[in-house]
Amino acid sequence: SCSRAKDVTMPAKLPVNFFPTTSPVIDLFRGQLDSAEQLRQDSEIVLYFFYAPWCGQSIAAREEIQHVASRLSDQVLFVAINCWWNQGKCRKQKHFFYFPVIHLYHRSFGPIEYKGPMSAVYIEKFVRRVMTPLLYISSRSKLLDFLSNYEPGVLGYFEFNASPQPPGYLTFFTSALHSLKKDYLGTVRFGVITDRRVAEELSLERSGTVYLHRHANTSLIYPKDIMNFTAENICKWALENREMLIRWLRPHGGKSLLLNNELKKGPALLIFIPYNPLAEIHPLLDEITKVALEYHKCNKSQAPEPDLQHLGDTESPAFDSSVTDAHLKLSETFSITKYPCCNTVVLPQWHSISRTHNVCELCVNQTLGVKPNKVHVPHCNFLEIEAALDSFYLQEHTFFQVISNTIECSNFLSFYSPFSYYTACCRTVNRHFLSFISSEKTIFQTPKVAFSSHGKKDNTQFSIPHIEDRNCFIPDLNISSMNITGLSCRTNKTLNLYLLDSNLFWIYAERLGASRSAHLKEFAAIVDMKEEVHYVLDQNQSLVGPTLENFIKNFSVLYSPLKRHLVDDPSVHFQEQHVITEVTTHTFHETVFVSQKNVLLLYYSQWCGFCASLNHIFIQLARLLPPDNFTVARIDVTRNDLPWEFMTDRLPTILFFPHQRKEHSVKFPEDFSINLPNLLKFILHHSSLSSSERCTKECRHTESVLQQGHISHLEREIQKLRSEISALHQAHGQLEAQLSEARREEQRLQQQKHTLEKQHKTLQLHSEQLQATYDQKNQELLEMAEKLQELADASENLLKENALLRILVASREGKLQSRDETKEPLQSEQTLPEDNTSPSTATATAEEERIDNIGTIETEHSSGNRTQ
Amino acid sequence: LDVASYRERVRAMFYHAYEHYLESAFPYDELRPLTCDGQDTWGSFSLTLIDALDTLLILGNVSEFQRVVNVLQEGVDFDIDVNASVFETNIRVVGGLLSAHLLSRKAGVEVEAGWPCSGPLLRMAEEAARKLLPAFQTPTGMPYGTVNLLHGVNPGETPVTCTAGIGTFIVEFATLSHLTGDPVFEDVARKALKALWKNRSDIGLVGNHIDVITAKWVAQDAGIGAGVDSYFEYLVKGAILLQDKELMSMFLEYNKAIKNYTKFDDWYLWVQMYKGTVSMPVFQSLEAYWPGLQSLIGDVDNAMRTFLNYYTVWKQFGGLPEFYNIPQGYTVDKREGYPLRPELIESAMYLYRATRDPTLLELGRDAVESIEKISKVDCGFATIKDLRDHRLDNRMESFFLAETIKYLYLLFDPDNFIHNDGSDFDVVITPYGECVLNAGGYIFNTEAHPIDPAALHCCRKRKEEQWEVEDLMREFYSLKKTRKFALKRPSDRGEAESAKDSEDAEKAGEKRNSKKSSHSLLSCPSQSFNSKLAVLGQVFLDNT
Repeated sequence: SCSRAKDVTMPAKLPVNFFPTTSPVIDLFRGQLDSAEQLRQDSEIVLYFFYAPWCGQSIAAREEIQHVASRLSDQVLFVAINCWWNQGKCRKQKHFFYFPVIHLYHRSFGPIEYKGPMSAVYIEKFVRRVMTPLLYISSRSKLLDFLSNYEPGVLGYFEFNASPQPPGYLTFFTSALHSLKKDYLGTVRFGVITDRRVAEELSLERSGTVYLHRHANTSLIYPKDIMNFTAENICKWALENREMLIRWLRPHGGKSLLLNNELKKGPALLIFIPYNPLAEIHPLLDEITKVALEYHKCNKSQAPEPDLQHLGDTESPAFDSSVTDAHLKLSETFSITKYPCCNTVVLPQWHSISRTHNVCELCVNQTLGVKPNKVHVPHCNFLEIEAALDSFYLQEHTFFQVISNTIECSNFLSFYSPFSYYTACCRTVNRHFLSFISSEKTIFQTPKVAFSSHGKKDNTQFSIPHIEDRNCFIPDLNISSMNITGLSCRTNKTLNLYLLDSNLFWIYAERLGASRSAHLKEFAAIVDMKEEVHYVLDQNQSLVGPTLENFIKNFSVLYSPLKRHLVDDPSVHFQEQHVITEVTTHTFHETVFVSQKNVLLLYYSQWCGFCASLNHIFIQLARLLPPDNFTVARIDVTRNDLPWEFMTDRLPTILFFPHQRKEHSVKFPEDFSINLPNLLKFILHHSSLSSSERCTKECRHTESVLQQGHISHLEREIQKLRSEISALHQAHGQLEAQLSEARREEQRLQQQKHTLEKQHKTLQLHSEQLQATYDQKNQELLEMAEKLQELADASENLLKENALLRILVASREGKLQSRDETKEPLQSEQTLPEDNTSPSTATATAEEERIDNIGTIETEHSSGNRTQ
Repeated sequence: LDVASYRERVRAMFYHAYEHYLESAFPYDELRPLTCDGQDTWGSFSLTLIDALDTLLILGNVSEFQRVVNVLQEGVDFDIDVNASVFETNIRVVGGLLSAHLLSRKAGVEVEAGWPCSGPLLRMAEEAARKLLPAFQTPTGMPYGTVNLLHGVNPGETPVTCTAGIGTFIVEFATLSHLTGDPVFEDVARKALKALWKNRSDIGLVGNHIDVITAKWVAQDAGIGAGVDSYFEYLVKGAILLQDKELMSMFLEYNKAIKNYTKFDDWYLWVQMYKGTVSMPVFQSLEAYWPGLQSLIGDVDNAMRTFLNYYTVWKQFGGLPEFYNIPQGYTVDKREGYPLRPELIESAMYLYRATRDPTLLELGRDAVESIEKISKVDCGFATIKDLRDHRLDNRMESFFLAETIKYLYLLFDPDNFIHNDGSDFDVVITPYGECVLNAGGYIFNTEAHPIDPAALHCCRKRKEEQWEVEDLMREFYSLKKTRKFALKRPSDRGEAESAKDSEDAEKAGEKRNSKKSSHSLLSCPSQSFNSKLAVLGQVFLDNT
């Protein structure tokens, strides 16, 4: 019966519209890639949305795409293509490992894949970037805006006066698009200057110059003479040399080592802010950027370039003049104030053939007991850096050997001032990278004295006040002798700064202890992966520049006032009625140490199979132990951090904190199985109830209390036994009922057996009777056969007699003929027919009998079958 | 992600399939969704109904649970001349009946006084299990794969059984033994497990199929998937359920070998069991249970990394093909189907307990969307015959309602009683004493039938322990401590049970010391610092 439908299969359902027909998105739900390509010819900007109709992510992104499309449909063509339908062109030509895939085209340039978050604002921002990959910088203020951004910017200077399109402009434009392909977050921004005067601000003189702006290091000019001026090269150059003072982290959701790689670099400050990529202004972000710039502002000897609008009062940003300025202005103040400065130094090549250079970042790394100036922070002291360079070149040989891609740092003392030391961080880079750095190499002289490395500690660290009080953040940096400016180069606990959009990644903040109830999703934490600690900026403080600065400063000092943050589980509410007390980070001390009871504490975690299967044992234990003297508690250590000394590395772990000796906690030995008797023995062994030996009045009192406890325990036990007895009774009753049921059943069966036996007997009787009749019939048959035989014999005899008679008759006739010839023949004809008829009727009756016989045998057989 | 709405969609999926089964297929084993009729597949036990029973309770449908319990009591007969798979009958029928038995009180079924140590469903489970026992009568103790429920092992039955078919009994059989007091079930299950352990290769791996008479490996591919999967699963779950160090140490040894020889870039491949050379670079749909198992023993980091690999395959096809060629990044010929298997969702549920990572809910979302879009037909949900074009087959396996739907629902229902962390429990008075039950920590058998570990401590063996506890409590309340109950030394009172306990413990301790491990085998490592940030696809490399 099964075979009919065995091979029934059904092809996949036909594809239907994925987007509503009213949507501005053109839905090619049969995967018509060819139509998609035709459509592309008509529009400057096209967005392809490749989806699979069954894919959850495609379904989720659908709304977002529609939203973007409704806003940009007049400028951008949105085409959705079902790239799953196996009859469709798209499926046949493209091979995607995930859905949806978004491709953008700017005229013939593309595809540019969008890999960012599937959120309408981010997609829209990206589409807009593809629409206008270059920002048009028309004025000085726009230039300042552009340069002040925390994200690296590339500027091209092209004069449009002469020809409609200056040479190189198209390449530059393409490279901007290209960068979107490479760096989907779009962190490198591209701008174009067409005005000579604006270009002069940056000392860009020749049309076609490409300039990479950097805040902390020297800005660069694209080395046309070394690298070919192609879109790809420009993009590569910008990505390689860009400066990442503060980075956005945007995990894409798939398996990724992003955080692993970033956090392994060293301590990281993660700042969570709600971010709308489409917003015109980001005041909070600007403020954070300002802190980040200050933090990284190490090198003051060069390019005091326009940093932020707020600092925009700096005039004429051309390097050579500023260096001289600084020189003139600061040489006088040299002895009073020393500010951290850094400079990039390229060591001369060891072998002229070598394709690599050693590059060192040299920093003046000191702050002296002299109070910082109240006046506006001056730029880096030229002499200072020169002195540093002197010391550095003295030790140059030490750095020559370094051939490594990682940065290696070492310190050495200044010979000008006994209080300062320098830090040089060196690494090896390819030669082309250096072409301009080397051009501005500072003069140096042969030094006379040299001190060997690893200078003294920064002695200002001790004077730093704790800045935790929320009402007392200090916008005036003078209170702290440590300045945020350039701190990143002075401290040996340099922080990497990261931004996360709390609209997308708030979960990380929650993991680090951000309160779930906070309506303002702003949060900052310093994560130190190596030390396995993290610190949290007090959430009661609003996230503004000064609090952030203080947070960084507090982290940077040697004896940091920051406390390791312990995340606790806010979902746990203390419930009195639970037999087991649920402990959290917050209640740990209170429950375990302050309480006047013996405490048995179970470290567990909900996911650990070995813990969860023990629940019932601890519940039994808690119900057994007198609640006045004992607390059975547990803590989910996955959701609740504890101070180091109370951490365990295995789960479950059972600790016992005896009353009055809480500091002497004992651990349940791991090689014993965890069951009720063992736990009781363990508690018994360590509990303080057994302490008193000699019996005083007090002891008698405790005894009576104990006995009281015992009595109540016994009462409970009795109660339990009673209920047990009743349960037994019930079971007994049940059994009884079952038994009587069974008896009845037995009786019934017995009766049934009797009747069956009777039936059997009658059947037997019947069969005997049948047998008898059978025998009888058989007998009769035999007799019949015998009779037949007899008849046959008789007829044979008759025949013989007949023959004899004929012979006799014949002989008589012969005799008679001889006597009388005329009368005799008539007589002989009359006798013959009479003799022939009798034997033939006999055979017929015998045959009938035989058929009857077979019939009876057959019926007997079938009746025999039935009785069996 | 709107968890509540997805939960309701899963519920609707369940009833769509369940009601059509009752309407068109019952009392056959399975529904055929394309032809709207039924067929017997693994026996003739109305398998889908037995399998779906506890899912009803997890969805909160108490009345239907009660009705089905009655239907099964009336209608299911194991005295039938049917050749049944020992493995499938155990996990689906015995497991299903056992969990239904243990949950029946919670479902409001009126239980008899001896519950959970007796009851009609338990008797049915026992009856079914007894039908399987003849298969274990082999020289090695490893069972035949097939047994006739009426006549025992057929003459001429093949002696070749897959590894999982030998090592997937301990959870159900030990539960049966603990509840009924008849040790025969646990004994045969343990004997079979030990026989496999004894026959592992020199490098510590087991193959795929073995001859249960001669103990020769017939298929020598070693991996974690088809043919082997639930053997490893039951070593861990048996260790947890029975607090058994021996089973756990077996697993840990295997785990080491598996990591050494089969693990590449968080994938697990197939290797030759004696040489360790890669024989098939494929990922099998059945292997996706592994991350869930890892999370149970605390290896959450590795679990998550492997899970994320598997998830990419789902994203590519909208399901997991039976075989996926990893280097080629595509399905394997003849193995393109997806019979709506639960394994990846199962792992997601376990991992979600551990990490609360929204990525896991996203897998749940994808599973709901895919299954509804691709395999929903008028009469139920059809197996996907080919993931490349989403052609459907005329079958709906019983595990779809027993496992796939159950795990999906549990993923979207964090407050379900199954996730109970021990804050709720029931106290039940039995003829054997007072028991604490339903305190969480349910162990799912490999067909997703939950077993309450507390129930195993409830019957028979309880009395001796109770007397000991009573003695200890007396000691507790007396002032002069005799200290004769010291944990370290076996008690000198000569009480057989307690002395044996301590001896056992000491023996185990010695065993461990000789192996030089510094911690109890029955424990998980606590999570590292970076696990705080290991969500939304972020993974961290070990510091070592």
